[in-house]
Amino acid sequence: MAAAVGAIVMLALMVICSSVHGAGRTLVLLDNMAMKETHSIFFKSLSDRGYDLNFKTADDPSLKLINYGEFLYDHLVIFAPSVYEFGGNVDVAAITNFIDGGGNVLVAASSDIGEPLRDLGAECGIEFDEDKTAVIDHLNYDVADDGQHTLIVANTADIIEAKTVVGEKATSPVLFRGVGMTADPDNPLVLDVMHASSTAYSFYPDENISEYPHAVGKNTLLLAALQARNNARVVFSGSVDLFSDEFFQAPVQKASPGSKKFPLSGNQNLAVALSKWVFREQGVLRVGQVKHHKMGESTPPVAYTVEDDVEFSIVIEKLAGDKWVPFDGDDVQLEFVRIDPFVRTTLKRKGGKFFTQFKLPDVYGVFQFKVDYNRVGYTHLYSATQVSVRPFQHTQFERFIPCAYPYYVSAFSMIAGVFVFSLVYLHHKEERKEKAE
Amino acid sequence: MSANILTVLTKFYDEYQKNTPQRLKIIDAYLGYIMLTGIVQFVYCALVGTFPFNSFLSGFISCVGSFVLAVCLRVQVNPSNKSQFYNLSPERAFSDFIFASIILHLVVMNFIG
Repeated sequence: MAAAVGAIVMLALMVICSSVHGAGRTLVLLDNMAMKETHSIFFKSLSDRGYDLNFKTADDPSLKLINYGEFLYDHLVIFAPSVYEFGGNVDVAAITNFIDGGGNVLVAASSDIGEPLRDLGAECGIEFDEDKTAVIDHLNYDVADDGQHTLIVANTADIIEAKTVVGEKATSPVLFRGVGMTADPDNPLVLDVMHASSTAYSFYPDENISEYPHAVGKNTLLLAALQARNNARVVFSGSVDLFSDEFFQAPVQKASPGSKKFPLSGNQNLAVALSKWVFREQGVLRVGQVKHHKMGESTPPVAYTVEDDVEFSIVIEKLAGDKWVPFDGDDVQLEFVRIDPFVRTTLKRKGGKFFTQFKLPDVYGVFQFKVDYNRVGYTHLYSATQVSVRPFQHTQFERFIPCAYPYYVSAFSMIAGVFVFSLVYLHHKEERKEKAE
Repeated sequence: MSANILTVLTKFYDEYQKNTPQRLKIIDAYLGYIMLTGIVQFVYCALVGTFPFNSFLSGFISCVGSFVLAVCLRVQVNPSNKSQFYNLSPERAFSDFIFASIILHLVVMNFIG
């Protein structure tokens, strides 16, 4: 009896425990299981933060991302650059579907890149270079390079300055060995996280240059990030070695004479910060309560009237750890829009509540209070509240128009004039001319 | 040329003073007052613009209408026109003037907004 109760309690506990870790279910696809050891520091940093890692090889026939319409994982890590075809039910369409469902993906490629990864990049707006090409930089390669100048040193100046995406400003350069990417600079969703220096290019290391390289100079992306419109995040890295233990622990020194030697590369800090961003630990915002009302009242009216004084407030929170704390941005703007914005102000902040007061324009119609916050590294906030603004009632106009006072005065003076004139006219006695007799 | 105009005007003024009955001079003074008010309103509208156009119209029409009615009264009461208005007594003319003025001012008050 006690044993049965005990068993039920244990089962309940296990269910609760598994649901607590539910937000960190991660599928890690590798080329071969040896990569679990070569990238152990990175994976340890993930599991230390509470992620439930499931390691599988990329062509495992039992792979499944979705089961009966529900996603089995929240995050996907693909450290399988040379995969020829994903196994099981996973393919590029399934991964794209996973991103559309809100899942985050971290993809790392290398010079041995396979078609599936190139297709996946193309779906997200990133073009990987061909298989067997590498990013080559004859002026910025490390001393440990094997002669082909493909182990390049990415300067800290070539990393994006966004604290939410890459953490604090790097102090050491980053080591990179892999394939280059390009993205359309007009793509509003793709972030250039790290690009190569202007002396780099992407081509086959063993061949003479016979055609224009796929990527040249600063257009060569080494790390690219995409935040989709549903706020799912995808990071593409041209180098899976960037996340390896070897690069985390390696010193960095450019092979040009007189360059500084850094005892430790910036790879680990960058990789950990990226993983925090891509798995939505950092830079995640949400909108809380939105309130609007006339000044002096506390509930919104059925319809506002033209030229009312209105107060608007919105609560924005940021995810810190697993708590939501008030957001501390100072550039959140409100637009009062009827097709075009009539009013655009910056909201003032008190704690996590952003508020402002303004006077409605002298235009009636159906308007929206729009807060559209789109900043690098943060989730895209969009909050629209629709209200109607009606014109003045017949009795709400001013009774006497000041600039028409002369007309009022003249009309009344005409009336007074008739009165005075008729008095004078009627009481006037005609002087009789004295007829001389 | 100017000498001629001046003599004409002086002669006209003297004739007017000598030969016009007092009653008509009262009406003329009233007419002058109405014209002044009308001119002031018109100049104000030209400067400031026609914003409350209905107010401008009603004020101006009140001046113009009163002017017309007063001119009618003067014509009908003038003794030298007695041959044309033989069956219209001056009292009848004045009561017509008052009746029409009442209607005019009623309309003006409604339209002035």
